[in-house]
Amino acid sequence: MSGGGPPRKRNFKIDVFKHRVELDPKYAERTWKVLEHAIHEIYNHNASGLSFEELYRSAYNMVLHKYGEKLYDGLESTMTWRLKEISRSIEAAQGGLFLEELNTKWMEHNKALQMIRDILMYMDRTYVPQSRRTPVHELGLNLWRDHIIHSAMIHSRLLDTLLDLIHRERMGEMINRGLMRSITKMLMDLGAAVYQDDFETPFLEVSASFYSGESQEFIECCDCGDYLKKSERRLNEEMERVSHYLDAATEAKITSVVEKEMIANHMHRLVHMENSGLVNMLIDDKYDDLARMYNLFRRVSDGLSSIRDVMTSYLRETGKQLVTDPERLKDPVEFVQRLLNEKDKHDKIINVAFGNDKTFQNALNSSFEYFINLNTRSPEFISLYVDDKLRKGLKGAAEEDVEVILDKVMMLFRYLQEKDVFEKYYKQHLAKRLLSGKTVSDDAERSMIVKLKTECGYQFTSKLEGMFTDMKTSQDTMIDFYAKKSEELGDGPTLDVHILTTGSWPTQPCPPCNLPHEILTICDKFRSYYLGTHNGRRLTWQTNMGTADIKATFGKSQKHELNVSTYQMCVLMLFNSTDGLTYKDIEQYTEIPALDLKRCLQSLACVKGKNVLRKEPMSKDISEDDTFYFNDKFTSKLVKVKIGTVVAQKESEPEKQETRQRVEEDRKPQIEAAIVRIMKSRRVLDHNSIVAEVTKQLQARFLPNPVVIKKRIESLIEREFLERDKADRKLYRYLA
Amino acid sequence: MLGKGEAAGQAHLHKDDDGGEQPSGVVKLISAEGFEFVVDKKAAMVSNTLRNMLTSPGGFSETREGEVRFPEISTPILEKICQYFYWSLHYSSGKETSEFQIEPEITLELMMAANYLDT
Repeated sequence: MSGGGPPRKRNFKIDVFKHRVELDPKYAERTWKVLEHAIHEIYNHNASGLSFEELYRSAYNMVLHKYGEKLYDGLESTMTWRLKEISRSIEAAQGGLFLEELNTKWMEHNKALQMIRDILMYMDRTYVPQSRRTPVHELGLNLWRDHIIHSAMIHSRLLDTLLDLIHRERMGEMINRGLMRSITKMLMDLGAAVYQDDFETPFLEVSASFYSGESQEFIECCDCGDYLKKSERRLNEEMERVSHYLDAATEAKITSVVEKEMIANHMHRLVHMENSGLVNMLIDDKYDDLARMYNLFRRVSDGLSSIRDVMTSYLRETGKQLVTDPERLKDPVEFVQRLLNEKDKHDKIINVAFGNDKTFQNALNSSFEYFINLNTRSPEFISLYVDDKLRKGLKGAAEEDVEVILDKVMMLFRYLQEKDVFEKYYKQHLAKRLLSGKTVSDDAERSMIVKLKTECGYQFTSKLEGMFTDMKTSQDTMIDFYAKKSEELGDGPTLDVHILTTGSWPTQPCPPCNLPHEILTICDKFRSYYLGTHNGRRLTWQTNMGTADIKATFGKSQKHELNVSTYQMCVLMLFNSTDGLTYKDIEQYTEIPALDLKRCLQSLACVKGKNVLRKEPMSKDISEDDTFYFNDKFTSKLVKVKIGTVVAQKESEPEKQETRQRVEEDRKPQIEAAIVRIMKSRRVLDHNSIVAEVTKQLQARFLPNPVVIKKRIESLIEREFLERDKADRKLYRYLA
Repeated sequence: MLGKGEAAGQAHLHKDDDGGEQPSGVVKLISAEGFEFVVDKKAAMVSNTLRNMLTSPGGFSETREGEVRFPEISTPILEKICQYFYWSLHYSSGKETSEFQIEPEITLELMMAANYLDT
C-alpha cells in the first residue's frame, strides 16, 4: 500500500501485535494439521467446505512466525504421498483406459495444484525466494514428473501407447486426437526436456524407420508421379498431425525426417526413373507432377539442383538433336518454329510448375544458347523465319500478335553468338523484301529494327535503316522523274528505279545483262535525269534484283499479265522475234550468268501451270543442249500469272561459304579496332590479356577466334600500330 | 484534505443492509467486528490475495457465498482498504494522480493488512 505519514506509533503497534499472537509451542503443529487436512480435501474434491481466507491466514501466520520450512516440507511430503496414490490408480488402468486415466488424473492434479498454490501464495511470495526453493506450481509439476511420468510402471507404457496410436493413425485408423493433444500438452507443460526426451526423440526415431520402410516399398512398385503423390500426402499428414496434437517445434523435425527418408534418399532414382521420371514429365507436360516434384525437392538440399541438372542435360540433348537433324534443316521456318515451340513449352513448365524459379530460367537460357550455336546456320534460319513472317505469315495478324512473334524471335536472337552473321542475312533478306515490295507491314519491319537496335546498338542497325531511307527517296525521285519527263517518254514501258546506296545494301557487283532495247532507252533517260540532278554520282544497274510486269498474248489470243524477274523478262523478250532458241543462244544474247540463267529458265519452263516456255527435251533440269520454244498452249485461270520470283530461300552450299567468308572479312576490321582501342588505353599488355579483352568487347556481336585475333595483332605490328616489347616478347606496346 | 478517490469509494460503501441477494459483480468483505463492506469485484481484485480467493478453481466457501471474513482486520482499517481499492482502480493506471491520504495513527496496522492482502 502506498502513501503514509510519519510512523510515530510504530513501537506501540508492534507491542500490540506481539501480544495478540502468543507463541504456543504446539501452534505450528496445529496450524499445519489444518492445512494438511485442507490439501487432502482438495485432492478429494471436497474443497467447498473450506474457507480460503482461513487457510490463507494460517499459511500466512506460519510463514510469518518462521515456520515456512515446516510448511514447505509438509506440502512436499503430502503431495508426494498423494501422487504415489494416483500413480497406483493409473497403473491399474487397463488397456485403452490408461491414457484416459492419466489425463483425468493430470487434470485433477493441475486443478488441485492451482488451489494449493493460491492458499499458499504468501509462502510462494516470501519464503520461497528467500530460501531459494522451487515455487509451489513448479514443485507440483516436478513431483508429477518424478512420481508419475518417470515411474517405472508408467514411463515406457506411456511412450509405447503414444507411438502405437500414432502408428495406427498412419495406417488409417481414427484415434482420439483430443486425448493425444492433452497428453502431449502435459509433457510440454512438464518442460521442454520432458517432451523431447520422453516423447519427441523416440517418436522421430520410430518415424524414420517407418518411412524408410514405406519409401522402399513405394519406390519398388510405384512410378515417379505416384510416389511423389504419396510422399506429399505423408508430408501433409505429418504436418497436420503436428498441428493437431504435437508441439509446433516438432514440425520442422518430423518433416525433415520424412524429407530425408522419402525424398533425399531416393532423389536420384526418382528423377531418373524409367518411363516416369523427370524427363517423361517434361515431355508430357505433366505440370502437376512437375510442380509436386519441385515443391518436394526444394525441401531437401541439392534437390532442386538435381532437377535442374537433369532438365539441363535433357534440354541440351534434345536441342542438339533438333538443330543437327538433317531432316529438320530442310525447312528453316519449321526449324525456327520448333525452337520457339520448345522454348514456349519449357517456359510454361517453369512458369506453371517451377514457380518461375530464376535458376531454372537461367538453366533454360543457357541450354538454348548452347545448342542453338551448335548449328552454324541458326542465324540464317532465324532471319529466314522473320522473312517468312514479314512476307506473308503476319498478313492479317493483329499488331500485338506481330509484336509477340517478333519478341520471341528476339529471344532466340539473344542466344546467338554470331550476331553479325544474323545481321548479314537479315540485310540480304530485308533487301529482297523491300525491292520486291513483299513486306506486309512497314510498322512490323520498323518494329523489328527498333528491337535489334535496343539489343545491339545503333551501329548494328544503321545500315538497315539506311535501306529504308533509300526506299523512301527512290519513291520521291520516281515521282519527280515522271512529273518532269512524262511528255518525253511517250507510251514506252514504265520504269521504277530504286536507288540503293552502296554499302547499305548487300549488293554484289554483277555484270549487267543485256537489257531489251525498249528498256534500255528509258533506262538511259533516267540515268541522264538522275545524274543531271545529282552531280558526281555513279549509277550501275543491278539487273539481278529487279522485277518486271509484261503482257503476253498466247495461242488462242488469251492475254495474260506475267510477273517475272528482270532476267526472266530479258529471256522472254527474245521470243518476240523468234519462236525457238537454244540455251547457248539465250546465254549469248542476254549475257546472264550461267547459274542465274539456269534457275530462271527452270522457273519459266519446268513449273507446271507457269510454263510459258516449252523445253526440248522435256526434263526437270536445264542442260546446255536444251532448246526452248514459246509455249502457245499455255493456259491459266488467272489473268495475272506470277512466275516463280526468286524468294529468299536457304542458301546453297557455295553461297553459304561465300557469306561466311564475307562475315569473316567484316570481322577483321572490328577485331583490329577493338585491339587498338584496348591498347590505346592500356599501352602495354600481354597476348592472353588482349585475346580475353577483345573477346569480351566483341561477344555482343560474335565470338572472335583467338587464331584470327593473333593474325590481326601481327597485321597491326606490320603496320606499326603495335610493337613487341624488346625484353619480353610476350608483351605488346602501343605505338602512338 | 481528502482525494477524489475517497469520495468515489464512499458512494459504494454500505453497512449491514444488503441481505441475501447479491449481484455477481460485487463481493462482501466482513471486518473483525462484523461490519460488511460490499465492493465491486473489480475493485476487490486490486488485492492479489482477494483475486486468488475469488478466481481459484474448485469452489472455496468464499467464492460460493460471495463474502470474505477477515477476523484480524478491524473496521476502520478495512474501510480504509476499500477506499484504497477504488482509489487504486481509478488512478494507478491513469495519467492524473491524486494523493491517497493516510492518517498516521493507522499507518502500521494498514501496512500489515496490505502485506496480508498483497496489495
